[in-house]
Amino acid sequence: MKSVITTVVGAADSASRFPTASDMESVQGSIQRASARLEAAEKLASNYDQVAQEAVDAVYAQYPNGATGRQPRKCATEGKEKCKRDFVHYLRLINYCLVTGGTGPLDELAINGQKEVYKALSIDAGTYVAGFSHIRSRGCAPRDMSAQALTAYNQLLDYVINSLG
Amino acid sequence: MFIRDAECISPNNVFHNPMLDAFSRAAVSADSSGSFIGGGELASLKSFIADGNKRLDAVNAITSNASCIVSDAVAGICCENTGLTAPNGGVYTNRKMAACLRDGEIVLRYVSYALLAGDASVLQDRCLNGLRETYAALGVPTGSAARAVAIMKAAASALITNTNSQPKKMALTSGDCASLSGEAASYFDMVISAIS
Repeated sequence: MKSVITTVVGAADSASRFPTASDMESVQGSIQRASARLEAAEKLASNYDQVAQEAVDAVYAQYPNGATGRQPRKCATEGKEKCKRDFVHYLRLINYCLVTGGTGPLDELAINGQKEVYKALSIDAGTYVAGFSHIRSRGCAPRDMSAQALTAYNQLLDYVINSLG
Repeated sequence: MFIRDAECISPNNVFHNPMLDAFSRAAVSADSSGSFIGGGELASLKSFIADGNKRLDAVNAITSNASCIVSDAVAGICCENTGLTAPNGGVYTNRKMAACLRDGEIVLRYVSYALLAGDASVLQDRCLNGLRETYAALGVPTGSAARAVAIMKAAASALITNTNSQPKKMALTSGDCASLSGEAASYFDMVISAIS
């Protein structure tokens, strides 16, 4: 799974050389920024349920008939539960990305093939955009986390929003 | 959820197991149970970050002395077992001796990668996987090879803790590097158990 360290090691291995001083500098730079990322990961791990719920509420405020545009009354509760499950899934992968310091987990476990899946299931990707845009606008430093941590968190939310666009 | 297997057969991805570091290891193990990474796992990663400079110094201690560590280890096994350099010995002929030195350097290089990443996956997947079979096919005396790795382990431990007797001590702020030295030793032990 891609991170700064595995990229550095992979490059060193391709050239059959020991890690050089510049490799160490790259790793050091990543480590310096890591504490903010881990702070964001920690806050997200303890609050994800609430965050996902807010996203679902934002989705259904904008799309009362849910992501597939079917009749609302028939399976409204089930639809909301599935919607929340999907947001929790994305948030969990964002949590992993914050820990690894790269977008590898999101790319490998969600973004690869997501458009095809949503198209096949007749799910409007715009509903996810609505939910993530709401989450993106909700984060507040220093109420929720430090400014640096919020930057890392928002960066990944933007990454997800762009992937769905 | 949406894993695509196509990338497994792409020519750019020769290694089926992706390389991991301490951080991506936490993500992979959390994903297997579908849980968020919080509390306990984060605490160990935080200590990884807090000791980041120590880790880089430890890697530097190995890489800056790589040539010494390897040649000392190979010279060591030849002193301990004079049969190695005699006709039909394991390193008889310069060609075999050169191969031995090269392999020592390769092992040390992968140990330095593992120490930098804080995870043994790169060592296991790219160096040790199949090494025993290769050595058996080539007729390499694995006992001597394991002994050379053990000498490298002792040298690396001394260099990481800056307790080496040679004049080449590093000008470092002294700190407790016992856990990093132990971590490096565990990677060398993996090599020893993989080939013997």
